[in-house]
Amino acid sequence: MHEWSLVKALIRQVDGIAREHDAVAVRQITIELGPLSGVEPELVRLAFRQVVDEATSSVAEDLSPRPLRDSWRNSLAENATLTIQEVPLIVRCIACDNENEVTDFIFRCDECGSGRVRVISGDEFRLLTITFDERLASV
Amino acid sequence: MSERTIVVNRDIQAERRAAANRFREKLTRSGTFVVNLVSSPGAGKTSLLEATCRYWKERWKVAVLVGDLATDRDAQRLRPFVPVEQLTTGGACHLELPLVEQGLAKLPDEKFDFLFIENIGNLVCPASHDLGEHLRVVLLSTTEGDDKPGKYPKMFRTSDIMLVTKTDLLPYVPFSVDRVTDDARLVREEMEVMSVSSLRDEGIDQWCQRLQTRREAMLVEVPSQ
Repeated sequence: MHEWSLVKALIRQVDGIAREHDAVAVRQITIELGPLSGVEPELVRLAFRQVVDEATSSVAEDLSPRPLRDSWRNSLAENATLTIQEVPLIVRCIACDNENEVTDFIFRCDECGSGRVRVISGDEFRLLTITFDERLASV
Repeated sequence: MSERTIVVNRDIQAERRAAANRFREKLTRSGTFVVNLVSSPGAGKTSLLEATCRYWKERWKVAVLVGDLATDRDAQRLRPFVPVEQLTTGGACHLELPLVEQGLAKLPDEKFDFLFIENIGNLVCPASHDLGEHLRVVLLSTTEGDDKPGKYPKMFRTSDIMLVTKTDLLPYVPFSVDRVTDDARLVREEMEVMSVSSLRDEGIDQWCQRLQTRREAMLVEVPSQ
């Protein structure tokens, strides 16, 4: 289950951006996920809870390789909710330019039958938006 | 306190991808062709490397980074042939670039012609992690069944070569190289398919020749600096 490691990368980025903007706490994180990302939505949800819980616990056991440790501690995302937008797997045919959705991972153009298709959506694992509480500038 | 939403719209693995590209370019400049071997456990990655080293003997400078959850059994098998560094992940299901970089730093300080990374046996997680390799080879042994490419599309979609292993067992198992080739090409039309029996040293010459050709192609494209 590598979602753990990927969610840590996500939280590290969220924290970085939130701190840049002087955030106090992150409320919501929206990500986009495609079927070809190699990332399972359910496992991301599970890993997200575990990672933020662990990031805020001092007695956590961490099995990740040493270079990946520590940098995600003291997360501002402790109470954040994660919203996952799933995107369909769409290919464009190199021969006839037709676009169609791919189900069952059979990469074929449904117009001309060619297998030479380019994935135009479906491998996304993107951070879309972050909602946070910001400190009001003191007057 | 006030609430604010900002639009980021960024690939979560962008930093990791950029790091992998930097690693790849660095190794390209030093003439080291990096091969990431992925497969399920027991498909024959270590046996393939043993056979490859036997075939090449001293012809090329080869080094191996071996990923393992526990034990250094694979590293021990390869040590008689080439410099090997063990990457023990302590339970993780895949390798990531920082571990590879650490392993490389522990290898003897010389320019290798080929660096093989033997990934953790797993057809799922390693697919999503670019280790800065020039070539990703997915091994599929004849005992695993010829329906696997469609079942693990991400792994086969991200691999350059599918290497069918244990062909010496073909007479005894219901496995068809044609069927598996068709299945793999449904997820990746350009998939190159090769087959070997490491035990009998069959197909190893073509496999090694292919690696040499790919390395030569890399050398032609060396970024100037």
